Amino acid sequence: MKVSLFVTCLGDLFQSDVGKATVEVLERLGCDIDFPESQVCCGQPAYNSGYVKESKEAMKRMMKAFDHSEYVVCPSGSCAYMFHEYQHIFKSDPVWEPKAKKLAEKTYELTEFIVDVLKVDDVGAKFEGNVTYHTSCHMTRLLGVKSAPMTLLSNVEGLKYTELPGKEQCCGFGGTFSVKMGPISEQMVDEKVQHVEETEAEYLIGADSGCLMNIGGRINRKGKPIKVLHIAEVLNSR
Amino acid sequence: MAGTIQNQDKFLNKIASRLGRERISSPVERPDWKYRPQDEVLKNASQDELVDVLKKQCANIHTDFYETEKKDLPEVLEQIVSSYGGGPVITWKDDRYAQWGLESLFKKEWPKNNIEVREWDFENGEESIIKAESANAAITISEITLAESGTTVLFSDKDKGRMVSFLPATYIALVPKSSLVPRITQAAQKMREMQQETGRVPSCINFITGPSNSADIELNLVVGVHGPIKASYILINDL
Amino acid sequence: MAMKIGSNEFNERVGQGIDDAFMRGAVSGAQDSMGVRRSNAAEELGNWEDWRSHGEEIRQHVLEHLDYYLEQLSKNVAELGGHVFFAETKEEANEYIRGIAQKKQAKKIVKAKSMVTEEIGLNAVLEEEGCKVIETDLGEYILQVDDHDPPSHIVVPALHKNKEQIRDVFKEKLGYKKTSKPEELALHAREMLREEYMTADIGITGCNFAVAESGSISLVTNEGNADLVTALPKTQITVMGMERIVPTFEEMEVLVSLLTRSAVGQKLTSYISVLTGPREAQDADGPEEFHLVIVDNGRSDILGGEFQSILQCIRCAACINVCPVYRHIGGHSYGSIYSGPIGAVLSPLLGGYDEYKELPYASTLCGACTEVCPVKIPLHDLLHKHREVIVEKEGKAPISEKLLMKSFGIGAASPMLYKFGTKFAPTALNPYTNGESISKGPGPMKAWTDIREFPAPNKERFRDWFKNRKKEENAHGRDDSESR
Repeated sequence: MKVSLFVTCLGDLFQSDVGKATVEVLERLGCDIDFPESQVCCGQPAYNSGYVKESKEAMKRMMKAFDHSEYVVCPSGSCAYMFHEYQHIFKSDPVWEPKAKKLAEKTYELTEFIVDVLKVDDVGAKFEGNVTYHTSCHMTRLLGVKSAPMTLLSNVEGLKYTELPGKEQCCGFGGTFSVKMGPISEQMVDEKVQHVEETEAEYLIGADSGCLMNIGGRINRKGKPIKVLHIAEVLNSR
Repeated sequence: MAGTIQNQDKFLNKIASRLGRERISSPVERPDWKYRPQDEVLKNASQDELVDVLKKQCANIHTDFYETEKKDLPEVLEQIVSSYGGGPVITWKDDRYAQWGLESLFKKEWPKNNIEVREWDFENGEESIIKAESANAAITISEITLAESGTTVLFSDKDKGRMVSFLPATYIALVPKSSLVPRITQAAQKMREMQQETGRVPSCINFITGPSNSADIELNLVVGVHGPIKASYILINDL
Repeated sequence: MAMKIGSNEFNERVGQGIDDAFMRGAVSGAQDSMGVRRSNAAEELGNWEDWRSHGEEIRQHVLEHLDYYLEQLSKNVAELGGHVFFAETKEEANEYIRGIAQKKQAKKIVKAKSMVTEEIGLNAVLEEEGCKVIETDLGEYILQVDDHDPPSHIVVPALHKNKEQIRDVFKEKLGYKKTSKPEELALHAREMLREEYMTADIGITGCNFAVAESGSISLVTNEGNADLVTALPKTQITVMGMERIVPTFEEMEVLVSLLTRSAVGQKLTSYISVLTGPREAQDADGPEEFHLVIVDNGRSDILGGEFQSILQCIRCAACINVCPVYRHIGGHSYGSIYSGPIGAVLSPLLGGYDEYKELPYASTLCGACTEVCPVKIPLHDLLHKHREVIVEKEGKAPISEKLLMKSFGIGAASPMLYKFGTKFAPTALNPYTNGESISKGPGPMKAWTDIREFPAPNKERFRDWFKNRKKEENAHGRDDSESR
């Protein structure tokens, strides 16, 4: 199966390990990975800040970059959700609305793709450790992917899972919110870190690079001994 | 007294223009709603099943629930009122009390035991309000009873003052079993029928669900803030 | 008090909110318990999504036919002998009500909780007229006794106060002598208020839902104070936002059910009163005179536009009770009597962007509000729409942000520039990088690194890794995935 990877800008620049793990997991499951070189950012940072005009150019680029793809897979719920949003953003645009619809239909978040499309519940991973999992807002509420990551994690050998208290609560990332409303964001991420600590987990796992960068950045700043991993990295460990 | 309407046209014209059309001049049909989840609640429940639901709900709303036959009603009522500390008692002016065998209790036994029974009298309105205010127990009749929420529904009229149910320290509702319906949906339908048949509904319809309460202080539930502090429902099985 | 509360700037208000440890404890505790109650009350129905859809279709239908239903309502109220006044502005509403107070030579006015009368600042106008105005909802009463402290929540207005603070206020202002037990505090308020009801000249209420077909208004409370306010004084004035209307009793009950479950997790609240006109000819209680004041105050400008769905709101506060931002800053930070997500959408519409331009940004767009809204208002989408309007129509965004976003537009839209920019990011950020992260970032990154570490850019971008890997594969020939 041919799969085009939408690696996200954070994944490309700051968390290339996530992209690498994604490629390796999918290849192991028999996918042939293609990386469209002309992909840029999905436009969400500008779009969410209200700069719709500016962001639309990036969106058009992305629709072109993935025009040829059969499946588009993204290791980030929020960015995958953004691809699903394009059809609303370009509503009534005779040229771009159909393209946006097409893109939405073939775009999947990584765990959703593995469980729902590849029909695989167990990727054969082994991971020793106590973990907890952050359910990011865009992925669960807006994209509607709730059970796939839990299904996959529950089949990872050696992994001990504790549910995160207040798991449905936002971590305070919110893209530019994290800098625009710094003091509020700080309170939100602090509560999240406190909840992670309460689980006594050694690892915090998530499926959204933005949230992980936020929570992880705060954990590191506070010098807490908790490691942050993307779910792709866990699924890729043997 | 005839009512008045002021400033209507300019106000409504603006609304219509914002909605991008002329004012609506012909009647709007009530839509056939796509969803009607309210009809599914306790659908096809028997009257006995509704009683069970009501009984359980009473525990959630801090309300004591009693079940009786009509013949035992005076005894049950007497016990509840004494458990509430006795009189004075205030009632509506309503023939149903006598029909349900309460005349002797109201007119003989209670007075004999120094429990004063006051009856709402619209011709002495001010006095009736003061009498209600200083009463210990109110005895009312639920016209429609909502099983799901544990709600008694009272209709006001000249002989059924609004304040009877509200000013006394405790609230007692007589609930004929036949008044039970699944939920507020059926009450709303009845009210609408009444409105369409008679041109109006009573000036005050009160849906009362247990005693008055508030959670305004640190979300602590306090029972009896403005109205009654305690509530009892007496279900009458053979009515 | 009008819609705006306080005079501090947004950032100051937020700072004060964050520093108020009691308030934050109270709010997070309230959110946790209300959240559970709401979701239990929704889940037990088994088909909550259908309920929401029904609520939505009713509200949308009403808004599309609003002029019709308001006309039907006013005709029916007048036929019952009531007086209807349509007020386009808050001034018109206040003057009309002031006029009634003058005519009745009212000295004492009792009020049941009403957001719209807060919005139009009615109490101040009546007090100016020499009337004693008494709020009877326990929470509102506490705030009023405490020198008009503004409400911080639309359902539980005194949520930000603890019982010790309330005891102290009662002690100082009312000569209260007992403890801080909520039961004793409430009993004291009960005693103080009973007397006021009995002697008030006018009762003023808001309106949860007016019923067009019957000319009724409905009032939803747990305390029952609305019943006393409407039954005892000779004159009743009900003030309603013009959108708070339904076609018939049958729609009323659906919205009441959605409201009570969403607001307080109850199947129904203790008191729901459906009042139709003034008292009937021989009634001994209920108002002799009934006035219905229907308020626009900026609402019609919302109709027909991209924010119309906010008028579907039934003021249940479910969005407030799940909002992670409200959780940490409390209601007063919003600077409006309407706080939380509903407030962040509604306040700029009713009060203008100059006053409330920050509110739409006080959200991570996490969508928790949209998920719980019982009438399916897409709250987070509306917050986003506000941002778009602020940037593109109002031009109120900061210049530095505009420049940044402009360069984003150019950079992100061009694969060449994007590749170039990202390639040199590690070099550009090198001076700030310490091991795997950046602790003190330059320029726009500073706001991030003030709070958290920022990851250092990878030495090798993903795209470079991928390309090199492909090259190697091609050079060595690729058998199958198992051999690697």
